[in-house]
Amino acid sequence: MDTVKQIRFRIQRYNPEDGAAPRLAEFVVPAPRGMTVLDGLFYIRDNLDSTLAVRSSCRMAICGSCAMLINDFPHLACHTQIAELEADTIEVRPLPNFTIIKDLVVDLTPLFEKHTTTKPYFIRSEVEEMENPTAEFLQTPEDLDAYLQFSYCIKCGLCMAACPTVATDRLFLGPQALAQCYRYCGDSRDDGANERFPTVDREHGMWGCHLAGACSEACPKGVDPALAIQLLKRLRVSRALGLGRKRRPTPLASPPTARQPKLPVPEFTVKVNGKPS
Amino acid sequence: MRDTYLWLLQLVTGAIIAVFLAVHMVMMHLDNIVGFFGGHISEPSSWSSMIDRAKEGWWLTFYIIFLALVLYHAIYGLRGIVLEVIPSGRTERVMTGMIWAVGLGAFALGVYASAHLFTR
Repeated sequence: MDTVKQIRFRIQRYNPEDGAAPRLAEFVVPAPRGMTVLDGLFYIRDNLDSTLAVRSSCRMAICGSCAMLINDFPHLACHTQIAELEADTIEVRPLPNFTIIKDLVVDLTPLFEKHTTTKPYFIRSEVEEMENPTAEFLQTPEDLDAYLQFSYCIKCGLCMAACPTVATDRLFLGPQALAQCYRYCGDSRDDGANERFPTVDREHGMWGCHLAGACSEACPKGVDPALAIQLLKRLRVSRALGLGRKRRPTPLASPPTARQPKLPVPEFTVKVNGKPS
Repeated sequence: MRDTYLWLLQLVTGAIIAVFLAVHMVMMHLDNIVGFFGGHISEPSSWSSMIDRAKEGWWLTFYIIFLALVLYHAIYGLRGIVLEVIPSGRTERVMTGMIWAVGLGAFALGVYASAHLFTR
C-alpha cells in the first residue's frame, strides 16, 4: 500500500482588485505517490479553499496552461510530481515577468502579442496556393529535422518567466517568439525570413539574447529556445554577408495522377466488367 | 540590418582583441615566462621602455588599432546593457549619441597621446 505524505503547500495569494499586498497562504495536502503539484492545487481548491485561482486544462503537458513557479523554478504544475521535488514544503508562486490576474493565474497576452509580431506562419510568394491549397509542399526528413524540435512549443510562457533579459527589458521579444521565428525561418517550405527580420533584427530582438540558457533549462518540451535564437543569429548574419547555401523554398508535390499499373493484374483479382474492382 | 552588422562587429573585435591582448600581455607582463623560453624583454613596464616602444611605428600602429577595437567592443557592450536596463527609443538615441561622443573623444585622445610620444 502506498504511503501518503503530508505536504505543506505555501501558495502566493494575490488579488489586484483587493489592493492588498501578495501573501503566502499555507495548506497541508495528503499526497499519495504519483500526485502532481496540479493535483495538490486541485485538492486545495476542492477541499480547503475554493477561492484559489488556478488555470489548467489538459493535465498532460500539452496545453501549457498551468505554468507556475514551483520551489523557485518555472514548471508546468501538471508535469511536476510532488515526489520528484523531494521536499516536505512546496512553494508555489505565479510566473514572474507577467502581470498577475489572480493568485497563480498570470496574463499571457504579452507572450501572444510578441509571438504574433514574428509572423509565425508560412510565407511564400504563391499567394493563390497559400489561400487555396491544392497539394503539399515537398520536404525531406533532413529538412524536417532542421526545425522539428522548435515546433514542439506549447506557448506556456515558462521560457519567458525564466529569461533574465525579459526580466529587465520589457521590450525584449523573448525566447518564445524568437524561437518560433526560427521555427518558420528554418523550415525549407517557408520563404518569409526577409519579412520577419525587421521585427527580430534589433537590439530588443535576437541581439538582446545573452545566451543565459535559462529558457532551454525551463522548457518542458525540449524545444531549446536558446539554440533556436543562436541559429536565428547565424541565419541573419549569413544572409547579411551573402554567405551560406542559398536555397529556394521547396516546390509543391505533383498532384496525384491516374496511372496504369506497372505489373499485370493477377488472375485471381476480382474483376468487374473486365476491370479490377 | 544595422544591428546585425553592429553585433557581428562586436563578435569580430572580440576575437581580434583576444590575439592583440595576448601580444600585449606577453610583452608587458609575462617577461619572466618569455625569459624562461630564452627570450629577453628588459623591464617592459619601465618608463624608458614605454617611451622606446612609443617611438616604434610598429607598436604605434598596434596600440592605435588595439585602442579602436577595445573602445568599440566595450562601448557597444555597455550600450546593450543600458538599453536592456532602461529600454526605450529615447534611451537608444541618447546612448548612441553618447557612444559616438565618448568613443571618438577617447580614440582621439589616445591617438593624440601616441602621436605626441612618437614625435617627441
